[in-house]
Amino acid sequence: MSASYTSVKDGSLRRRVRNGALGLGLVAVALYFGFMALLVYRSHH
Amino acid sequence: MAHAHTSDTAHHDDHHDQPATGIKRWLFATNHKDIGTMYLVFSLIMFFIGGAMAMVIRAELFQPGLQLVDPVFFNQMTTNHALIMIFGAVMPAFVGLANWMVPLQIGAPDMALPRMNNFSFWILPFAFTLLLSTLFVPGGMAAGGWTLYPPLSLQTGDSFPMLIFAIHMMGASSIMGAINVIVTIMNMRAPGMTLLKMPLFAWSWLITAYLLIAVMPVLAGAVTMLLTDHFFKTSFFNAAGGGDPVMFEHIFWFFGHPEVYIMVLPAFGIISEILPTFSRKPLFGATSMIYAIASIAFLSFIVWGHHMFADGMPVAAQLFYMMATMLIAVPTGVKVFNWTATMWRGSLSFEPPMLFAIAFLFLFSIGGFSGLMLAIVPADFQYNQTYFVVAHFHYVLVPGAIFGIMAGVYYWLPKWTGHMYNMTLAKWHFWLSAIFVNVLFFPQHFLGLAGMPRRIPDYAVQFTDWNMVSSIGGFAFGLSQILFPIIIIQCVRGGQKATAEVWADTHPTGLEWTLPSPPPYHSFTTAPVIP
Repeated sequence: MSASYTSVKDGSLRRRVRNGALGLGLVAVALYFGFMALLVYRSHH
Repeated sequence: MAHAHTSDTAHHDDHHDQPATGIKRWLFATNHKDIGTMYLVFSLIMFFIGGAMAMVIRAELFQPGLQLVDPVFFNQMTTNHALIMIFGAVMPAFVGLANWMVPLQIGAPDMALPRMNNFSFWILPFAFTLLLSTLFVPGGMAAGGWTLYPPLSLQTGDSFPMLIFAIHMMGASSIMGAINVIVTIMNMRAPGMTLLKMPLFAWSWLITAYLLIAVMPVLAGAVTMLLTDHFFKTSFFNAAGGGDPVMFEHIFWFFGHPEVYIMVLPAFGIISEILPTFSRKPLFGATSMIYAIASIAFLSFIVWGHHMFADGMPVAAQLFYMMATMLIAVPTGVKVFNWTATMWRGSLSFEPPMLFAIAFLFLFSIGGFSGLMLAIVPADFQYNQTYFVVAHFHYVLVPGAIFGIMAGVYYWLPKWTGHMYNMTLAKWHFWLSAIFVNVLFFPQHFLGLAGMPRRIPDYAVQFTDWNMVSSIGGFAFGLSQILFPIIIIQCVRGGQKATAEVWADTHPTGLEWTLPSPPPYHSFTTAPVIP
């Protein structure tokens, strides 16, 4: 099996790569806004 | 995705089998080797720009009094030296090494997301052009220290929004690079390459990438809040408006301490590749090395308070941060003992990568020990804001991270170029670097213990002698780095042919050594099978 072959033919690998990247990207975005939201919350309580 | 590089599409995309010519090859690069090369060249350029700033600092500190630059410019140099070395030199160098080596080590044809790879590199030249251009705006560069503590950093002139935007771009680049590494390692490993069979460099990068994703957004959030405090009258960190400047320090160091390990864990991986090769023995305790890296990464999240002991905090918090920081010595000790045990009774040879790796082992340990001294709360009250801290983190970052990068480059350069480099010159580079890095930084321990403050362009006369020694070491270390690009350029242009194994009599292990030197433009189009 070639990973490069599978990246074209194997839909599940393509999905895993895409979902993995999107999931990690979402974690990053959540941390970015999460810390700011935490400070906004803290400033009001 | 790597589909453009596949053999089954080759008849459609013949032009992808060979690199494009001219500028297009680099501008539109999706090949991991090309992008790795661009990262490495970029980081080398930044290393010399950041180094030039260090030379200004050391020239001013050669004698007491103010002679060469005004104090504001001095502070601009200390601030931007740090930003450029951290975000421009060390981090991109490791991303470059990851780009080159991770696919080769795991048997993948390329990174999983090559177009994002291109984007994450090309953000960097814009980010650093923006950062460096602040030299020419009214008020000059940022001068409040790389930690950007408010309210001082909010006094930055017109360069402030440029600095914040540059940091955002650097962060975005790092996060994309980290996502790419994780997704590649988790999905593109060759059949049979289980995680525990994966080489230590790839392992160290997998863990580093998770650290990056966890902390770079936190830095981005912190500097965004600085931006809104500066321009939109928010009071996140403004005490007058009900905000808390110390909160910035907490958030910054929640990023900043793992950042230290982001800069050194990949070096651990490189050293773990080099020492077994030139000791002609397998790595001692390979699995424990992985657990040690993971433990260090975990602990790096719970020790940030040790940067803030002198701010004042409850005794319970001081004790917690002190103990947690000291705990890092345990997995780090595991690594140092494993490296030593790898060399023990090995058939050692001292090629340039091995020399840099051994120097790393000794000198990084010195940085580790001074870190333990700084972890002790009452001692830290004395050392805080002195040159002892400067000496400590430079021992971690120069003979630590940068020697690790140099060791990696000298280890894999013949693989990349297909040529052996000038060993004699590389050994000169090593010995000059190893000697003068100590002349440069060791006296700074004495200066710090005697009370010389950091980030101040002038000092009391009793500090003169060791400052002169340190500056001489700095100039000599800086000059000796000129050998590095000379050796690399010579090697790229030609030289004795390198074999596939490069270090043939050592029989290095790893998939990268099964490929010819240089490896084909598209490697592992048929995945190797790992027994």
